[in-house]
Amino acid sequence: MSAPATEAVSPLEAPSGSPLHRIAWHWRHNPKRELWLAWWTIVAFYQLFFLVFFVLTRTQPPPSPGWDVARVVQWFHHHHYGLLIGFGIMFLITGMTAPSNALIAYSMRRMSVSPAFAYSYLVLYSLSAIPGMLLMCIALTVGAMRPDRDPELISWLYDFAFLSFVGTMGVFLIGSLVWMLAILLDRNRVLPKWFGYLNLCNALTEIVVSPAWIFKTGVFAWNGLIAWWIDMVVFGLYTGVFIFLLRRMIQREGFGTGPLPDLAPTKETDPSALAETAQ
Amino acid sequence: MNALIKKRLLVVWLVLASITLVYLWVGSVDPASAVRPSAVVTSSAIVMALIKVRIIFREFMETRHAPVLLRRLTDGWVVLMAVCLLGSYFFGMAIR
Amino acid sequence: MTDLAGAGPRPHRVDGKPDAKDGNKPAEFVPGQPDMWAFVLFEALVFTSYFVVYMIFRTRSPELYLQSQAHLSLRIGVFETLVLLVSSWSMARCVQAARQGAYRSALTNALLTMFLGVVFLVAKVFEWTRLIRMGFGFSSNEFFSHYFFLTGIHFLHLLIGFVAVGVIVYQLRSPARRSQELVETGATYWHTVDFLWIVIFALLYVVR
Repeated sequence: MSAPATEAVSPLEAPSGSPLHRIAWHWRHNPKRELWLAWWTIVAFYQLFFLVFFVLTRTQPPPSPGWDVARVVQWFHHHHYGLLIGFGIMFLITGMTAPSNALIAYSMRRMSVSPAFAYSYLVLYSLSAIPGMLLMCIALTVGAMRPDRDPELISWLYDFAFLSFVGTMGVFLIGSLVWMLAILLDRNRVLPKWFGYLNLCNALTEIVVSPAWIFKTGVFAWNGLIAWWIDMVVFGLYTGVFIFLLRRMIQREGFGTGPLPDLAPTKETDPSALAETAQ
Repeated sequence: MNALIKKRLLVVWLVLASITLVYLWVGSVDPASAVRPSAVVTSSAIVMALIKVRIIFREFMETRHAPVLLRRLTDGWVVLMAVCLLGSYFFGMAIR
Repeated sequence: MTDLAGAGPRPHRVDGKPDAKDGNKPAEFVPGQPDMWAFVLFEALVFTSYFVVYMIFRTRSPELYLQSQAHLSLRIGVFETLVLLVSSWSMARCVQAARQGAYRSALTNALLTMFLGVVFLVAKVFEWTRLIRMGFGFSSNEFFSHYFFLTGIHFLHLLIGFVAVGVIVYQLRSPARRSQELVETGATYWHTVDFLWIVIFALLYVVR
């Protein structure tokens, strides 16, 4: 939570004091509280996402598509509890993607471009969670649930899960392009132009993932150097960058309609001043 | 457009095109003899390519007139490419 | 299409160089948006990683790569390289012309660039068709996977390049819209497509 400026000259002063006291004040008075709530949701979600996929379930980095049926069944046995618990958590927290997408759409509404950009993005990303994440969670949970199922079926679930997670990048890449276009056309300087181009980089590296549908080994397989590792590095960087930029956007937000002021808290963007004008 | 600028751009292009034509000689393979890996061909191909890239940076993309940071970043990338490409080739060949 | 946020024409002297701050050397300036440069450098790094992967895998099975590479036509590769080099030359001329206010010349050069881009596209598609007819596709072997991947992703960048040149042409056509910064930004992108191809050509067609 950003530390409130204490030089506001108004009765509605942002307090210093214990964190709990400050959080309570912001919750009641800060007009940006919804934005900050959404932002913190994004941060929390990605931490949990990392924990679930990389640590608990070990589905990222993905295991090899080149394994035979017996090896795949062995993988399921080995990760039995990790899969069930990890994805169980995932099913509970999937809803956290909603504030995340909403905040990004909000950034586009704040821009000088048509609201259609924000709406398209929202629709795209609401739908994309299904093939992009949930299908894998569901398929692998089904596979882990009954370990004595026919091995061929388990192998089928394995392919289905990883192909849907890694291979359906198309839904995300169009969203990136929508955001990119909005940023490049924007006159309110909500987000920097270089981030618009970074969206293009992200989209291009996501296109590179599509050969995963063809290859079972090598650099273009769903666990390959090019199709997964390099793509993940770019995506990780991209995510870190946009979380940082959204934070800066919220800090700069003055709830006007023109260009967003630069950073450096001014009287217009100070939470206590905004709260006062909101009263 | 100023004649001096036109001339400079043309000369730059001629240099780039000439280096490209050298590839016809460097990259040609005698169909009779067996094709073998060649460190000389590889190194010269990569070095020539990076020379061309740097010329494009400096003349066409105008980093000659750019602030020091941009010059260093673009030159730095050229150096990085040389190190990575030549390094991965020689390292890869060495550990076979 | 709404005007892309950009600066107006840069002040220039008669010889086309930007005004010097001291009278001695031309002022330093960043051609086009610095944001585009950030993108160019970032994409260049991503491509570096693809190239390194290719080189390392190449050294692991040199015979396979050498035999497959023999099916490529060096002459077509050189031709394509020359075409893109000319297109970069015409793009550089376009920027210089626009800088001096010679907008008709700039427009001609921009259109020439676009035309040369199309020539490259046609040559590439012709090459791909020829290889596929010979029986070599994306999944034929490791070399051809890399070949089609690198040329394919470059092709994609070239298609985006057409959008960049399109923006330039759109800007140059109307006196109300002309933005030197945008012209230079588009040119920076186009040169990137060129220099990436130069490396790709060397690595796929020549390197042994």
